Amino acid sequence: MNSDDWLRALTAELHQRRVAADAARHVVAEAATHLREGGGDPWVVFGPPQQYAGAIVESIGTAPGPRPGPVRLHAQGITKRYGRQTVLRDATLTVRAGQIAAVVGANGCGKSTFLRICAGLISPDAGEVAVSGRLGYCPQSGGTADFLLPDEHFVLVGAGQGVARGPARRAGRAAARQLGWEAGGATQARHLSGGTRQKLNLTMSALSNPDVLLLDEPYQGFDQGTYLNFWDQLGRLRDAGTAIVVVTHLLNQLDRVDTVLDLTPAQQTGWHAPGVQGGRP
Amino acid sequence: MNRLVTVAEMTLRELLRRRGVLLLLLLMPLTFYLIRRDSYLGQSVRSLLLGVGWAVSTAALFATTAARELEPRLRLAGYRPHHLYLGRMLGLWTVGLVISVPFFLLPWVDGADLRYEGLAAALLCAVGVAAPFGMLIGALLPRELEGTLLLLTVVTVQMLIDPAGSGARLTPFWSTREIATWSVDHTDGGYLARGVLHGIVVTALLALGVAAVASVRLRRRRHLRHLPVG
Amino acid sequence: MESDRRGQWLRGVLDICVLALLAERESYGYQLAQALDAAGVGPIQGGTLYPVLLRLQKIGLVTAQWREGTAGPARKYYRLTDDGHAALRQGGSAWLTFVRPVNDIVTKGVAR
Repeated sequence: MNSDDWLRALTAELHQRRVAADAARHVVAEAATHLREGGGDPWVVFGPPQQYAGAIVESIGTAPGPRPGPVRLHAQGITKRYGRQTVLRDATLTVRAGQIAAVVGANGCGKSTFLRICAGLISPDAGEVAVSGRLGYCPQSGGTADFLLPDEHFVLVGAGQGVARGPARRAGRAAARQLGWEAGGATQARHLSGGTRQKLNLTMSALSNPDVLLLDEPYQGFDQGTYLNFWDQLGRLRDAGTAIVVVTHLLNQLDRVDTVLDLTPAQQTGWHAPGVQGGRP
Repeated sequence: MNRLVTVAEMTLRELLRRRGVLLLLLLMPLTFYLIRRDSYLGQSVRSLLLGVGWAVSTAALFATTAARELEPRLRLAGYRPHHLYLGRMLGLWTVGLVISVPFFLLPWVDGADLRYEGLAAALLCAVGVAAPFGMLIGALLPRELEGTLLLLTVVTVQMLIDPAGSGARLTPFWSTREIATWSVDHTDGGYLARGVLHGIVVTALLALGVAAVASVRLRRRRHLRHLPVG
Repeated sequence: MESDRRGQWLRGVLDICVLALLAERESYGYQLAQALDAAGVGPIQGGTLYPVLLRLQKIGLVTAQWREGTAGPARKYYRLTDDGHAALRQGGSAWLTFVRPVNDIVTKGVAR
């Protein structure tokens, strides 16, 4: 990794940590000046980019996030039963424009169900959802047409908003590029790799410029780079005022989100996690 | 209008890319025709029509099942339910008309003595009924296999049932059978009139059924309130 | 071990050293690092120095300005503010009050 790479990595790290763009530019420029005058390996002079970015954040803090806008999604008292089993009990979530909300919880705790209820794909047994503006929804898998090309998916989604073919294709390809994917190829969706199909899925859901974007663990099959691009993309959409709900089981991403809804059921069933049992030894 | 045409076009593109399935679908009416070829022409024309009906309804079934996950997303992207099912039906009818052409020419090349306007009407009825029929089965049954088996049952019943019996009128492709009789056996015009009426009514009823299922499945849920962006 | 300890000392006093150097004249990061090294404090890495400068700037003890040098790249020059001068007087005398007895104790101990 040469100096330029290191500086690029630093820029990305600062951006990811939400250091104000202006301040970040100064920090990077100053480091570049120092390296040019003094030479030396940036890894020795400044340390790893992550670590230096961390030190910068400690010194100057992060930008105050853009003030959250009006409420875009309000889900209130959502309860859902399948037969005798209650998968969701009284779940409530409010997301404003310019916020990312994470829905977390153990497997089978109703994360996807909650999202599908928010999207209006299934009905809850109790509760209400209010949505301002347009909804976008990206399922965990599926949701693409096996025998169509990526471009045709973009045209299909675009036509729903009255977007002409050319602009729809261009918008789709541009959005795909944000995820590091050149979507203009002649490969039918069924021949795309799992990760690429998810990129298509994700691109489709954001293509209609939704005000509320619901993402159900959309990153399955993503490699590390795509995964980072994905979160950058979410950051950009958030900064542009989109309200985002993302189902995730990766808790290490929670520092990038504004609200967390944990759907893990309260331990009222008599089951206790080892180590947190009641009573004293 | 644009949305309708786009859905129709994509349905068409998808089907045309399923080359294997398409080939097998074309093979079926052909074999039906050839098997009965030696004995009695009327029977082989009827089999041919049934084969076309089967082929188009199977294609409709596949198209509907494949779109099951996609349609809710398109609904969110601004499509109304009728754009989705009418667009799909339009695409399927187009495919049906295209594959009907060789089967219209087949008996003609074969030198059969038919009322060819009757054959055309019967093909139209077969295609007209088959698209919404396959779509309805696809909408009601969750998997392709189950749908295919049901279609197979219907086609077999259709083939074996006595067309003069009262129950026969309840089968979806009775219209093609009546018109085929008019076309092959040069019977009176009652056959044609009954057949065309039956074809139109059944197509309309099946299309209504598809509309009903789609409207329920893709309805705006009551728990979800849409507010304007404020 | 030795450099580890030096690092710990430095962490506690680097901001005062920087304020003291900037009290003489305005300067930029690389020059400050060289001055500290030349004074015998030892090499200071950018990764240590700049976060300190940024913190001082943030709390208003120094101001900064980008200027084209006569030769070489544009540099970010730091200058002490009035608050910076006050902080230097206060922090500096606190440091001296601290090291004087430490020096006495250590000197006696080493001499014995």
